[in-house]
Amino acid sequence: MNPTQAARALLAAAPDALFVSSLGTATSALRAASDDGPHLYMGGSMGSALATALGVADKRAERRVVAVLGDGELLMGAGSLWTLGGMRPPNLLAAVLADGHYSITGGQALGTPEAFAAAADALGLQAAVARTEADVERQVNELVWPALIEISVDEREWPGSSPFVDPPVVRWRFENAATTAAR
Amino acid sequence: MSAIAGRTWQARLAQTLAEGGVEAAAWVPDKRLAPIASALEAGDTTVRTLTREEECFGWAAGFRAAGGTPLVLLQCSGLGNSLNAIGSLVVPYGLGFPVVISMRGSLGERNPSQLPLGRSTIGMLDLLGIQSFSLRSAEHVDVVVHGALGVADGARALAPIILEPELDL
Repeated sequence: MNPTQAARALLAAAPDALFVSSLGTATSALRAASDDGPHLYMGGSMGSALATALGVADKRAERRVVAVLGDGELLMGAGSLWTLGGMRPPNLLAAVLADGHYSITGGQALGTPEAFAAAADALGLQAAVARTEADVERQVNELVWPALIEISVDEREWPGSSPFVDPPVVRWRFENAATTAAR
Repeated sequence: MSAIAGRTWQARLAQTLAEGGVEAAAWVPDKRLAPIASALEAGDTTVRTLTREEECFGWAAGFRAAGGTPLVLLQCSGLGNSLNAIGSLVVPYGLGFPVVISMRGSLGERNPSQLPLGRSTIGMLDLLGIQSFSLRSAEHVDVVVHGALGVADGARALAPIILEPELDL
């Protein structure tokens, strides 16, 4: 699975959800998979994407929220995984694109174990490892949220869309999507 | 504690923020902010205890982007932990919300480790283009809170209220 295929599977499984993506690969993949849909793409703020998704989920309790996170991203804000375990918003799913590398900085390897699902499990969250797009689509709807899916990305392919978004445009489109009823 | 009409200034601050539209708050616990957090909770405003101040700014950015009015409470030393979330998320995305900052490392500080970040709090905000608003006296709670909410909501800018050491804590 490459990152765009992973994002496409998440979108297919939760088409009504509000999506937040971390900087770099996750934002590029979500833009590519959704034809640049009205999602909350991050252009920076590494380590803050899951926290931001927690805020969206808090405000929009009636909507499902999916955080698409790089693995290095989640490590930088790992405390938010603990918060996910403590706050337990029933409308939030964390999806980690686990490829073991910092892609946007040139593909350097992480210095830590890929143990995101195991860590989430230890925190009392439902968690699973997905190796195929079918796994992703099934787990999105089978796991009881809040949940975490560690998506094994074994094709480290750059999605293509620019991760350098125009922040006010992103905010305006996302706020409209978040404040109107899901289709 | 000084009181206005039988209430502490902290209770009045919390009530004015809530009446001004603040729906939920996030903080990392701090002794000087605790009476404000308690008053918010007593008024049915949700207060989220998070793990790091930067996480509070991320949470608030998401809450604001989804159409809400959040509040962040932090001790000034936590501003150092938060600069990237403020500089590359809150500011460029135009996500304005009020922030209440309790001061350490300022007038009367006895801990040398607190001084550098206290001394540089206003300067760090200023370098990011953020105007901060000092609260030095209980009698100014209403005007400062209303003004900060106007900046956050209308001008879409981060609006930090600085709890100066002259306030009775």
